[in-house]
Amino acid sequence: MIGNDVVDLELAKTQSNWQRKGFLEKQFSETEIRAIEKTQNPFELVWLFWSMKEAAYKCYIQTDKKRFFAPKKFKCFITSKNEGFVQYLEHTFKIQYQLTKEYIHSWVVKEGIVQKSFYINNIKKQSTTTNQNLLNNFTLETDIKKDEFGVPYLSKENQKLPVFISTAHHGNYGAYAIFK
Amino acid sequence: MKKEVLIAKLKEIVKPYIQDEKAFINLSENTDFIKDLKINSANLVDVVLDVEDEFDIEIDNDSMEKMLSVKAAIEIIEAKLAAK
Repeated sequence: MIGNDVVDLELAKTQSNWQRKGFLEKQFSETEIRAIEKTQNPFELVWLFWSMKEAAYKCYIQTDKKRFFAPKKFKCFITSKNEGFVQYLEHTFKIQYQLTKEYIHSWVVKEGIVQKSFYINNIKKQSTTTNQNLLNNFTLETDIKKDEFGVPYLSKENQKLPVFISTAHHGNYGAYAIFK
Repeated sequence: MKKEVLIAKLKEIVKPYIQDEKAFINLSENTDFIKDLKINSANLVDVVLDVEDEFDIEIDNDSMEKMLSVKAAIEIIEAKLAAK
């Protein structure tokens, strides 16, 4: 399984108000909220935690096929400038992230994973651009489909390929992860 | 509160967050917030908070966990209103 998530920080500024009453309490643990309150750049940490939670959730539902919305249960721990982990129930997801002034990309670490993030010029083509970037790693006849849980998979001549993929886009940024 | 009224109120609440106009126009009980309306998952919490404000109810974590569709939201709102 694999999971990744991207946050366009410029868009996040206008799309969500993290300082809204109840916003943090609904989705972050007490430990996470304390870290957010203490840090110099709370906005950045809110979205870093968020992207880690999303990446871990997306990875988790690739095997436990069930959709739900419980961000608070995914507990984030940051261990370095580009690493951390997320705990959900008895599962631990090792995370790597890339944090720039413009965006955050988080992905679940797996041996041999291929991941990439990129700028998307035309915001209306977020989805197709992201899919095309991922498909560039495969032969022409390969296509991306989604199952009923919203989990993407690769299909070739109507056969599901034995590869785990994850796509993400937000505003002007897109990203993918591939795990064979 | 009648179901149609609930759905109309919910439609007003989700309006600022939707990214699929067509699915929004056709919003029904079977509409999924993420799959159909393409609401960003970070905005789902705004929907939850707006529902709490609009109906003066508290949506606990277990209920929020299921709030991915209009149908689920209606069930949760109805149950919370009944318990008031």
